[in-house]
Amino acid sequence: MSVAPLLAARGVSRSFGNHVALAPTSVEAHPGEVLALVGPNGAGKSTLLAILAGALPPSSGSVERGDGVRVGWMPQRPAHYGRLSARQNLELFARLEGVGEPDALLERLELPDDGRPSAALSVGNRQRLDLAISLLGDPQVLLLDEPTAALDPRQRRRLWETAAAVRTGGGAVILVTQNVEDLERVADRVIVLLDGRVVFDGPVAEYLRSEAAGALA
Amino acid sequence: MIKAPLLILRKDLLVLRHSPALLGVLIAYPLVIALLIGLTAAYANAKPRVALVDLDGIPHRVVIAGKSFDVDGLIDQVAQNVEIVRMSEGQASQQLQSGRVAAVVTIPPGFVGELKGLVTSPHLTLATGTGGITPRVRQQMQALVYNLNRKLQSAFIQADIEYVNLLLHGGSGRVLGRRFSIIGLDGTARLLKQLPRSPQVATIEDFVNDARLALALTGTAIRATASPIELDEVTGQGRTSALSAQVQAYGLAITIAFLGVLLAAGALAAERDENAIGRLVRGLVGLGQLVVAKVALAVTVALGLGLALLLAFGIAVEAGDVRGGQPWQRLPLVLLGVVLAGAAVGAVGALIGGLARESRTASLVGILVVLPVVFLGLVPSEIVPVAAWISDAFPFAHAVRFFASALYDGSPWRVVGEEGAWLVGLGAVFGVLARLSARRLAA
Repeated sequence: MSVAPLLAARGVSRSFGNHVALAPTSVEAHPGEVLALVGPNGAGKSTLLAILAGALPPSSGSVERGDGVRVGWMPQRPAHYGRLSARQNLELFARLEGVGEPDALLERLELPDDGRPSAALSVGNRQRLDLAISLLGDPQVLLLDEPTAALDPRQRRRLWETAAAVRTGGGAVILVTQNVEDLERVADRVIVLLDGRVVFDGPVAEYLRSEAAGALA
Repeated sequence: MIKAPLLILRKDLLVLRHSPALLGVLIAYPLVIALLIGLTAAYANAKPRVALVDLDGIPHRVVIAGKSFDVDGLIDQVAQNVEIVRMSEGQASQQLQSGRVAAVVTIPPGFVGELKGLVTSPHLTLATGTGGITPRVRQQMQALVYNLNRKLQSAFIQADIEYVNLLLHGGSGRVLGRRFSIIGLDGTARLLKQLPRSPQVATIEDFVNDARLALALTGTAIRATASPIELDEVTGQGRTSALSAQVQAYGLAITIAFLGVLLAAGALAAERDENAIGRLVRGLVGLGQLVVAKVALAVTVALGLGLALLLAFGIAVEAGDVRGGQPWQRLPLVLLGVVLAGAAVGAVGALIGGLARESRTASLVGILVVLPVVFLGLVPSEIVPVAAWISDAFPFAHAVRFFASALYDGSPWRVVGEEGAWLVGLGAVFGVLARLSARRLAA
């Protein structure tokens, strides 16, 4: 593609002590693209996503972000304050992001607004709260780490509608998933990571016919 | 720049509000500290138990040198400082061994007789235990003997003066049980006047006159030589020790040290526990700002609890009608110290939180660090200089000295300035170290 990427990782790697979680890897996310990161547990998918989000500094390499590009990040584990309610969490992160009140997001994602601490919410609701936080400020790039793991079919459909809206708005989505149905439904391109290295990078249809897909099935 | 730390501070205060158990501990903590300090103060003021073994069978009243002494009254006077318990020699020995009495005072047989004889000094025997209270009991017993000697001394002086008066004016008296009568110098002068005048009579008259003049001054001279320096005691001028500067200063400093370190350490490590650190460091809140927010949390809570403690102490002081009252006008200066101490201990806590990376570990390490630092701060520097040097490397001892000076020194500015500078310097050093350690949270 000749269009400048919205977000790119250039030879990023990450080690934890002697353990290499991610070998030098390059990834680009272009406008209108949904990119899926697949691979077995411990392959380095979440590490790559965290590095792309700016949450984890790479041991080497760099991350480039297009001018004025906002990046939303939904990590695999809940990443909000358990003693605060969904509204308080959203208000806090909205203020930190410097964006408006989050009422619309609360309503759109059907988050409970009864003042309960978010630690008391169901796993699915907590995952939706993380999605809502990642959507604050209408990001052009959305990074989703196994976003459908705890969602019911209705919420899963809504999530993909949200991802589709980002893509049609000229943004990009990078998602980590183990679910083939998710791939077929929303992804344009697949990157397979194995032991911290990229072993496949191509369109979904090509991936589904590849040995890598067979090995991961 | 300041907005992000303020938002994180507001979040942490909200979290505290949503944690009733933790909030309860925070409110109860100063009360427990005040209670512990009160108990310590009460222990310090407690009367040591001292056994009295009377092998002489001293009666309730004893007449020495013509003066009657109320033995029970004398014991009551001593009992203001120690609790005197009469018991047998065997019981006293047993209780001293078991530590139930701090000392045993034994009055040997023939004590009163020897005292009445005015020839040799009788002896009391003091046997002490080995506990930490022993020096205090020894001092009390030395004070007892001193006071007894003073009372006997005045009786002896009075007796001596009465003998001199007999020499001067004549009359009858008793020495070593034998009665006697003398005409005295006055009588001698009268007799000399009745004799025919002669140079010899004139010489004797001169001697009698000189002797009368000299002996007239004897009473004052005896008193002066018996007590070259007199100590006049003026009591009831100071504050009661239970609410003294040290108690308030330690109460404040201990509270701030524990809460500041534990809160800052726990709150910083909790950012990683909650997995929120990743979101924050994505350009929303820098690690330095995060450390500032945790230090601000320590300062905010220290201010709230410090003010509550000062008010509680103040009310106790006023209700107890303590002479001098609570120095309310010094409150702003003490609160300035609370802010500086809160910031410095908050920085120590943030350092621990960054290194521990996990809130439970951070809390445990926080307690393990604060306890020895507090104890080191309590060790007088004159006794263990090394302890004082180590203690000076942490904010606690400086906070104690700042508060004590701010509360009660007539001119506190030099001490407050020095200790305030220490707190600022230590806060800066620990703050920088905390910022470096916070990198571990995002890794």
